[in-house]
Amino acid sequence: MKDCEVIESSLGAWLDGELDRSEAERVRIHVQECPSCLGEKERLERLQASLKGVLEGGASGLAFEPFWDGVRQRILERKPWHARLWDWARPAFYPQRLAWAIPLVIVFLLGILSLEQFFPGWRWGLNRGNVAAVDSIDGHGFNVAVFRESKTKTTVIWLFEDQEDENESSGESASTDSSF
Amino acid sequence: MNLLGNPPRLTLLFSFWLLLSSGSLDAAEKGQQGVQLNIGTILASNESDDFDPKLSKIKNQLEVIKYRSYRLIKEENQKVPWNGNAAFEIPGGRTLMVMPQEYRNNRISLKVRLLAGEKPLLDTTVRIRNRGNFLLGGPAHEEGVLILSISAMTQ
Amino acid sequence: MELSDWELVQRCQQGEIAAFQELVVKYHRKVFMVVLGIVNHREDAMEIAQETFFRAYRNINGFKGGSSFYTWLYRIAVNLSIDFQRRQKRSPVEFRETMDDLMDKGEGAKLANDPYVDVQGREIGKRLLAAIDELTPDHKAVIVMRAIEGLSYKDIGRVLGCSEGTVMSRLHYARKKLQEKLGPYL
Repeated sequence: MKDCEVIESSLGAWLDGELDRSEAERVRIHVQECPSCLGEKERLERLQASLKGVLEGGASGLAFEPFWDGVRQRILERKPWHARLWDWARPAFYPQRLAWAIPLVIVFLLGILSLEQFFPGWRWGLNRGNVAAVDSIDGHGFNVAVFRESKTKTTVIWLFEDQEDENESSGESASTDSSF
Repeated sequence: MNLLGNPPRLTLLFSFWLLLSSGSLDAAEKGQQGVQLNIGTILASNESDDFDPKLSKIKNQLEVIKYRSYRLIKEENQKVPWNGNAAFEIPGGRTLMVMPQEYRNNRISLKVRLLAGEKPLLDTTVRIRNRGNFLLGGPAHEEGVLILSISAMTQ
Repeated sequence: MELSDWELVQRCQQGEIAAFQELVVKYHRKVFMVVLGIVNHREDAMEIAQETFFRAYRNINGFKGGSSFYTWLYRIAVNLSIDFQRRQKRSPVEFRETMDDLMDKGEGAKLANDPYVDVQGREIGKRLLAAIDELTPDHKAVIVMRAIEGLSYKDIGRVLGCSEGTVMSRLHYARKKLQEKLGPYL
């Protein structure tokens, strides 16, 4: 009897062909000789057949075209933006001739633009030089002059601390006029 | 090959990435550590005709001021973050406060205040070229006047 | 010359939707049956089966050929079905009505290779479907995949992400339960 309990638990796997050879042989011999287990095996086979029949029957009448239409509709309509972007970008990773021509050109242009970091002012020409812009100025009661040195265009702010200095200055007072 | 009609997509993607990264150069610069300020304190006078060789780089700039003698008293560097304050001691009990405010179009905006003790003498906002300078002069010192060469460089 | 699943997948990965259509032709019925066996509702099964293929298409580049295409596909189908089952609780009455329609039309008996081509056979079918519906989603999945596809325990384990031993014990339990429910009809 105990044998039958053990065999019964292996019947399903034996019918499914999942037991190793020695175990399968043991079950086969027992089933041949045990009417109870033979009956159990036949019930299991009927169950399997019914299961298969019922489930396959449920799928009867499944036409391909409407099914495919549904799938295709999902593919066309439901792509999230990042999936669509990836679909577009994906072929870009296939080898292409001359693929690097445009990036090379862009790198060259960027290099030109970034020369400013290493050669400040070159982009604007040598004549621009060291020009600074004075956005605001407050001498707190003192006279202030702003003028520009002619050769390098350097901006000079001059504070007249002593009012007497005003008579000796070479710049205009309290002005941001850079007309020198 | 119709390169224009159907450009390689990797090319386009890579180019797009490059453009984005180039556009962020400014932001990257500003987003970094701030500004290095350099203040040169120069004594200009008519007591002699000596020109300090240490000032040779800015000789052209100083000539317009029409003093006969220029001497570098001291030179000081400070690194300061954006919107941070840097204080420089200026001879004669004065202080120079410099605050780098922003960086745009390769120009550094500096807010500058000159104080005599606690008393403000001058407030100004100046936009100078990166690695450029301007001169702030006039305060009396010893036998002449002080000229401050204020320069800034992004870090 | 008929292309293998892997060759068709590779063509899909290159963007050939026609190759994907071939895969759908090959597997749509099997996927539908597996899903129907788990969710037990034809319209829902249709939605889920279509969604399965949509997701397979969307993630086709993630398929590297480590497993067979159909186990990968069934994994998507079973996961969607089990998720659906856990979210939705359909009443047995509604289920029986839907499947009863199919049974009454004689479609099931006629086309399913059912040995019981008679009223008794249909009665077994109805009871069997009701019994399946009472199983947990995990048990439904193993019983359906074994019954329809004859998939090996190893493949079922790959689909469900469990060991062969777990598959064996779930199958044993599910079959026991179905036998208890069907009783004298078997």
